[in-house]
Amino acid sequence: MALSPIDCQQVLEQIELYLDGELGGSLRAEIEEHLGRCGPCMDHSDFQRRLKELLRARCGCDQVPAHLLDRIRALLAETHGPPLD
Amino acid sequence: MARRPPAPPDDPALKERFEREALPLLPNLYSAALRMTRNPADAEDLVQETYLRAFRGFGGFEEGTNLRAWMYRILTNTFINAYRKRQREPVTVTDEDVQDWYLYDKLGEAGVEASAESAVLERLPDEDVQQALEALPDGFRLAVLLADVEGFSYKEIAEIMGIPIGTVMSRLHRGRKALEKALWETVRERGLVAD
Repeated sequence: MALSPIDCQQVLEQIELYLDGELGGSLRAEIEEHLGRCGPCMDHSDFQRRLKELLRARCGCDQVPAHLLDRIRALLAETHGPPLD
Repeated sequence: MARRPPAPPDDPALKERFEREALPLLPNLYSAALRMTRNPADAEDLVQETYLRAFRGFGGFEEGTNLRAWMYRILTNTFINAYRKRQREPVTVTDEDVQDWYLYDKLGEAGVEASAESAVLERLPDEDVQQALEALPDGFRLAVLLADVEGFSYKEIAEIMGIPIGTVMSRLHRGRKALEKALWETVRERGLVAD
């Protein structure tokens, strides 16, 4: 007997794992297949994906202070390397 | 991680390799440090301390393994040890009233078409999005930061934070819901949706 296809509720419960790239194999394929034919689930999925993208774009691209790289290089230059035990 | 005999002190090749491989990570580490400490002076201190500790431990780092995750583990540990003690803040988020799809539903209820919902969020200034993330308590903020901003896998986050994968998943889920609530409040304050 064939298993019944995944339904909307099951898809929405798995969306977080799916978008985080944590689902593999057949479940991932089933969700992709469902999203391809279900507008509301695709809307939910797109929204959550764009929220992730928004965080990445807004929270991960700060300008590094110009002096910081020099300061770290100087710190390393005056620091002894990994010690002998 | 397998412990190898430490290299001799002041090995120029080791220092050169550390600089070549670890310094390009500075922009990401600095952004992460800013989200952790919430201010530029502390972020600079945290990043410098991270590089210092990483360099001192670099002899034990196994070449070919994940240097980026290793650096983030040092960053996270340094942050937790140095800064967390100072801060008095709740260790959990109150999410009883935050349903799944909170932000999606709220925007929908405010009359925003599904296809336009993310466009509303795009109109938020960077600082608002950063503040919403920074307002999360440490454990939740770190999980969301490492997953959504830095793109680490659950397994990597578990190793970086030293917590089980199940805890990573729960903190991510609850942290994201709290973040959605904060973003919704900001969207309303900014007048980006009709009340």
